[in-house]
Amino acid sequence: MSMPSETRPLPADELLAFISGHPARRGLPADGATPPDAAHPLFVEREVLADLARLRGCPLRQIMDECLSRHIWPERFRRNYGLFSVMAMRRLLGARVLLAGCGGLGGHLAGLLARLGIGAFVLCDPDSFTESNLNRQAFCTESTLGRPKAEVAAQAVRDMAGHAEVVPHILAVTADNLSALLDGVDVALDCLDSVTDKALLENACLRAGVPFVHGGVLRHEGMVFRNVPVPDSAPDALPDAGLRRLYPQGQSAAELDAARAAGVSVLSVAGTACLMAGQCLRILLGEAAPGLGRLYHLDSGLPELESFAW
Amino acid sequence: MRILVKLSTTLRDCVPGYDAETGLSLDMPEGASVWELARHIHVPPEEIKIVMINGRQSEGTDTLRDGDRVALFPAVGGG
Repeated sequence: MSMPSETRPLPADELLAFISGHPARRGLPADGATPPDAAHPLFVEREVLADLARLRGCPLRQIMDECLSRHIWPERFRRNYGLFSVMAMRRLLGARVLLAGCGGLGGHLAGLLARLGIGAFVLCDPDSFTESNLNRQAFCTESTLGRPKAEVAAQAVRDMAGHAEVVPHILAVTADNLSALLDGVDVALDCLDSVTDKALLENACLRAGVPFVHGGVLRHEGMVFRNVPVPDSAPDALPDAGLRRLYPQGQSAAELDAARAAGVSVLSVAGTACLMAGQCLRILLGEAAPGLGRLYHLDSGLPELESFAW
Repeated sequence: MRILVKLSTTLRDCVPGYDAETGLSLDMPEGASVWELARHIHVPPEEIKIVMINGRQSEGTDTLRDGDRVALFPAVGGG
């Protein structure tokens, strides 16, 4: 979880002079009279940051990180100020997440995480949007029907957060490709629609030492848990997989077919995605204890949220 | 003994008139297991994938005690 940094940071006075002198900031109070600090940050518009990135010949995300380190916040994060410290915001900006599945949970999560400020996305889904996705999948619109979900989600994330690094893959997760997909990933989010694939992803995460967040939905309800690999656990120890605990019997082909035809509400999908994003944040900000977290159950129809112990 | 049963999603279809807000409050014989409870309310045990008793994951063969709150779930595995 770090920002690529090939260029030397600009001295603070030069940075503030550039910002103050930018045409987009004409008419604004004279910035730079006193250097910004944690209590008095400076908020800077994206065209200023984009010009700075062009001038410096480095990625916009790196410029944003550099500015944040001096309490200069991108204007897009003005309303994140007060939620996150500079250090937390920089962590989010430097983070890379894998969204395994870009339909219901994955689509909503891509938007939530992009708006929170996550800086890099690996988006994976083999399918294209169909009409029956319109009831619940964030990026399924009449104009995106027939288009690959991973590509549409990538475009949507780029529209929300042009600084983000977004890599779409139009493929299913398999035992063969997971280690490559997880390379450099800080958190993997399980937005898959089969218990077998979910367990495959969780096991791959535990082996690779990548924190995992599970989400599952049915009708008006959803379930969420996180599993943060325990450092220095014995190499031969069987990882404590949440999905193996939840579904030791697995899922038969008939059960999977029935689940894929079952009703699912956008309320449960969006609500479950919010819970997953919350778990992802806790992990990225170092607030999640290692091991299996509690199991959360959301009934968006009532509504009711409970948490269970294993 | 008195048991409170909360059913999730498709399991609610097995109990006509089930009220999701209140759940089902029923009397069961002392020492009854979760599977016996499920059969009593006509929920096929094979459709139950997750059993929670008083907020803790449990087994269908576990015996119940007076005042227990039992939550039963099918696989909630969509994406």
